[in-house]
Order: sequence, then C-alpha cells, then structure tokens
Amino acid sequence: MTQEYMDAPAATNFGALSNMVGSAPPVTEDVTYQRILNAREGEPHNWITYYGAYNGQRFSLLDQINTENVKSLAPAWVFQAGSVGFHAGPSTYSFEATPIVVDGVMFLSGWDGWIWALDAKTGRQLWQYKHAIPFDTSLCCGNVNRGVAVANGKVFAATLNAHVVALDAETGEKIWDTIHGDVRAGESATVAPLVVKDKVIVGSSGGEFGTRGHLDAYDMETGERVWRCYMIPKPGEPGSETWPEGEAWQRGGGNCWVTGTYDPELNLLYWGTGNPAPDFDGEVREGDNLYTDSVVAVNADDGAIQWHYQYTPHDLWDYDSNMENILFEKDGRKLLGHFDKNGYFFILDRTNGDLVSVTPFVDRIDWGEIDSEGNVTPSIYPEAEGEEVHFYPGPAGGKEWTHACYNPETELFYCPVQDVGATIARRRREFKEGIPYWGAHVIVDAEEMKGSVSAFNTSGEEVWRWENEIPMCASVLTTAGDLVFAGEPSGEFNALDANTGELLWQFQCGSGHHSSPTTYSVDGRQYVAVPVGWGAWVEGFLPGLMGGPHGASLFVFALPEE
Amino acid sequence: MARAREKQLSQVVSELGLDKQNKATIGRLLAHGGLAHAEEGADGRMSIQIRIPEDELTYSPSITVMPHAGELEIEFLNDDKNTHCAIVPSNGDYQWIWLPNHSRGKVSVTLDGPGYYWYSSNVGNDEGRGLMGAIVVLGDVPEEARLDRPAQPRP
Repeated sequence: MTQEYMDAPAATNFGALSNMVGSAPPVTEDVTYQRILNAREGEPHNWITYYGAYNGQRFSLLDQINTENVKSLAPAWVFQAGSVGFHAGPSTYSFEATPIVVDGVMFLSGWDGWIWALDAKTGRQLWQYKHAIPFDTSLCCGNVNRGVAVANGKVFAATLNAHVVALDAETGEKIWDTIHGDVRAGESATVAPLVVKDKVIVGSSGGEFGTRGHLDAYDMETGERVWRCYMIPKPGEPGSETWPEGEAWQRGGGNCWVTGTYDPELNLLYWGTGNPAPDFDGEVREGDNLYTDSVVAVNADDGAIQWHYQYTPHDLWDYDSNMENILFEKDGRKLLGHFDKNGYFFILDRTNGDLVSVTPFVDRIDWGEIDSEGNVTPSIYPEAEGEEVHFYPGPAGGKEWTHACYNPETELFYCPVQDVGATIARRRREFKEGIPYWGAHVIVDAEEMKGSVSAFNTSGEEVWRWENEIPMCASVLTTAGDLVFAGEPSGEFNALDANTGELLWQFQCGSGHHSSPTTYSVDGRQYVAVPVGWGAWVEGFLPGLMGGPHGASLFVFALPEE
Repeated sequence: MARAREKQLSQVVSELGLDKQNKATIGRLLAHGGLAHAEEGADGRMSIQIRIPEDELTYSPSITVMPHAGELEIEFLNDDKNTHCAIVPSNGDYQWIWLPNHSRGKVSVTLDGPGYYWYSSNVGNDEGRGLMGAIVVLGDVPEEARLDRPAQPRP
C-alpha cells in the first residue's frame, strides 16, 4: 500500500529561528558624505567609516575611558557568531572586521558573507544578512571580511565571491547586487568599502592567483560601476615600461584588498596595492612592476591616477603595501605616514608623492636596505631555482595589513610590529588561471620571533615600545583618553598608556586578535569593541600559533555603570 | 516535477561500501548519492526533486547541478522512517525546513555561482552520517565582470 506523504512544515529563513528583532532603527538615513567628512569632530560618539575618519588615523576624541580608570574596564556584552554547516575555508575563517557604529546601532561583518546589525548598547541582534558563498571560492588567506560601509540608509559590503551588495540598513534586505570580480580567475573580495560622495569604492583581492588588480567605484544608489582603475598598466599605458614584453602584465597582481584613505581637499584616494605575481619569481617579470607595492593617489571622481610612490620596486619578498596610508599635517604640510611590510616607515608629501623621510621600524631587516633618499638595494632574495634563502621580515612583513594609528594629541604613530623571518626558495611554475601563482615554496619561522607596539614621532624616531614575546598581528586604536588598545595573538586585549607604553589593563578574550577595534558611546557611556577570532593566513604571519583557539566573538568593554 | 538524469557512483567507492551506511565506515561518504541536473523552466527558474531514501542517510541525488546562477526550487521527499531537515544556502539567509518521516516540502534558494555550495541536515550528526549534499552552479561571470586581459590558460 502506498502511503501519502505528509506536508512538511513550510521552509523559513534560518535567522527567523532566533531571538533577533528583525529590524533596526533608521539611524543611517541621513548619514551623508558631509557627515562622514566631519565624522571625528562632528560625532565622536559614532564610528561611521572604516578608519573612524577619512584620514585613517583610527583616533577617537572619546576620553571617558582614560589612563586613570581603564583598570576598571570590563566586558559589557559579547556577540557570539559561530559557524553553520560546511563553509569555505573551514579552518581559516577569521573575525577581521572593523565594527561600524551609528547612533546606537552597530553594523558588523563576519566571514563567509555574514553581516549583522546589533544594538550597540546591549548586543542584541537586530537583523542579519547571509550571502551564500561557494565552498570552492579561491582564497589565499582565509575566509575573512574587513567590514562594511554605511550611508543614505544602506549598508555596503563586498562578498567573498566578489560581489558588492547594498542592504537596507533597517531590515538587512538586499537592494542591489553587482558582480565585482571573476571568481574563475581567482578573484575574491575581502575589503571594507569606502563611501566617498555618491560612490562606493571597492578594491580587488586575489594577489596570489595572478589576477590584474583593480579599484572600482559604484554608484551608491544603483550599484552601477562608475569607474575602474587597473593597477597594472596595459602595454603602451604609463608604467607599462616597468614590465617586460609578453604576458607578465596580464597576471601582474597589484590588488587593492585594504581600504584606502581620502583627502577631500585634494579629492584624492590613497590606496595601497599588493604584491606582484608571481610573488617570489621575479625573473618572469623583470622591471619595477608598477603599480604593485605602491600607494596610488587616485582621483575619486574618475579613477585617474594622479601620482604613485612604490615602496618596494620589483618585489621578491611578498611585501604588499595595501596597509593604511595615514593622513596628517606637520608644519603646514599635507603628509601621509605608512608602515610597510618591508620594515620601513615612510612619510610622503601627499600632494605629490615626494618622499619626506624613510626609517626602519622593526629590528631585523636583512632583505635589503632603503637609504634616506629612498634608494632600494636588495640583498637577500629567492633567485636560484630550489635554493633556499632566509630573510627578515618574512612575507607577513614588519607589519601586516592590520592598522597602525595616529594620535594628533600626542603626535605619535602607534604600530603593531611583527619581527619574524622566513625561508623561501624559488619554484617556478607556469601560470594557470585560478591556481595559486607564488613561484616558490615558503616556510615562515615558528621560532625566534617577537613583536611590539611601537610609538614613533612624525620624524620617524621611535619614542617607546611595548615588547611582546610574539608578533603583534591586530590593528591598534588610540583615544583622547591617552590610551592605545592592542590585541595579542594569544588572546589578551591590552590598554597601553599612549605617552609611555605602560601596560595599564588587560583582558583575556580566549582567542587571538586579528581585527580592528573601534570605540563609540551610547547614552553617554563609552564602549570599546573588538572582534576576536584567530585564523586567516596564520601560516604566513604566525605559524607558531596555528594551533591557537579558533574563536568567533565580538567583545565590547565599558567602565562599570555608576 | 523535475526528473533528472542520474549517473552511477564510482565502482570502487561502491565496492568498498563507502556509499552505504555502517559498512566500510559508520556513515556514508559525503555526496555519494548520485548526481542530477536541475530542470530549467520557461521563466528561467530551476527545479529539482531530492529524496532521503530509507536508512541510507543521504540526499539522492547528492549533487544537484544548476546550469547557471539563479533561483532553484528544491522539493525534498523524506522516504526515511526518521525525521531530518535541510539547511540550504541562499542569498539573504539560509533556507531551513523540517522533514518529518515520510514528508515532502519545498525550498527556494538563490545562488550566484559559479562554484558549489553544501547543504545539510543540521540535527544530531546527520551531516557526519552522510546527509550533506552539494549544489553545483555552472557557468562564468558576465563579460563585464571579467578582467580586461586576453584569455588565460586554465588547468
């Protein structure tokens, strides 16, 4: 006898089976370009753009938490993300985001297409969006995302499979979805978008797969691509003379996977570019390989390159220069400061790219030398096939993508420093689309490593350092409370005295830090938020801690209520 | 309802018993429950029927192939004498459905592709026993999303 099937209960959004509210207050409706321009001074209680302000300083005027009372800092709430089913990079997902906060609502991204809106005071989940990510997406460095942007009632995010989406900031519903890159070519997207005027600026990822890096601008309302700026010139274009004849430029790298900074007076974006490809086999790409490992000043309206400065010409060490270019003024000059993977701290005139100073910021540098005029003399690099060489810093750099900060009150830069080397040998391989294209074998040191948070003045001189047994791999944050916050790979979240480097407070979060903490206030109470979740490219920046706890939480700290 | 062309499993996997419960291993090797192509309707939506056979703890077919990105309607039929479920990736949120003993139900999902996605029964250790399936999305990204460079060699 045939039995009739019963009707299963109706399918539902998985998020509906939770206690999330389902909507958020309309706090981003009037977040405009003008508000972002004045983000720090105009609304210090918020953190409305990636670096807190266009200048990339990661400095907050909030001072309720200060050197006198920080010892009382304690968790206010925790958001646990966890993992569902099989997802891409099941062993490499990491919580790398910068929490964005607007008038009591936090907008946060996780790995694998997760975006959340949270009550910034209580931690209660307001809504969630989950972009479905193919399990087989090409990832060099883990399943990660560095954050979202907000404006005009929308939340903008790049997805791991190289889409750019705009969500309704009240509901999390998708408004538009534009394909940003080619996953079959090895492209992905991990960057936090940057809103400038009416555009959403998004850079490419895929530097270890021989792609051709690009920076794109999308219309905020429609998702239509307005301009694209390739970071590897075609034959005949300016900079093409730095590539050999043939196919090398087609797979040249120069990706744009970390958010840039912006000077509204000059209307210039300062975007860092990544390594050339193949990473370690320079013989197949003779020349300087522009615009890899550079800061590229790009007109925000049309994507035209105004000037560039290449930090590591003809890179043979995987010294991406994606990390922040912090804008500051000194003696009436418009300058930018940049800590490069190559171990040197550069200060440039940001109106024209002229070098002002260059000084080492990490103890061990033996790959080569950069003199005070910016001349580069390589010493140790992979050359002969199969012959191992060891150099400092390793491919993770003296500082990774995680961000330094600048405090205009102390006039000091604070940098998370990694002092770790690597052994590498050239291993030539032919290029095939979608396959890793390193041209080497790589073994990063798991011993003889150290780290620090180091403070430098605007002349590049070290003022103090807080030393650590292992490299420091997370972004730092500074506040008007004379504090520097810095997470450790071993889980501790630290508050240092911004003037002396003295450790004032510490909390063990249970997993390593590889994200960007931010601070904000709600109803007059200051909070410090830090995503915690060890993972990503650990084999590259700290293999000695590959076995560390693999967390997935956002910790938010505050002083006890009266 | 969509009928799909199914293909035989690897002979050696079957001979060893990796496509059966409690034979070579305790459970069943993932995605060894056949492959089928979703059918595409006139409106571009795709559909597939997926069964959970009795005592096999697998989705059959285990691999569903979409010819391109888009919307897929899945009708699940649970022929098993136990309750399972399905959590299926989709843009916006996972779609989740209870599948009581001898029940049928539909799930609609939207997937970008190209690439493949896992779905599963996220109760007990249904996943470990074999109740995980893959949705494969074929095709390429649109021309306007590709890099401006000559065609490159692929593996």
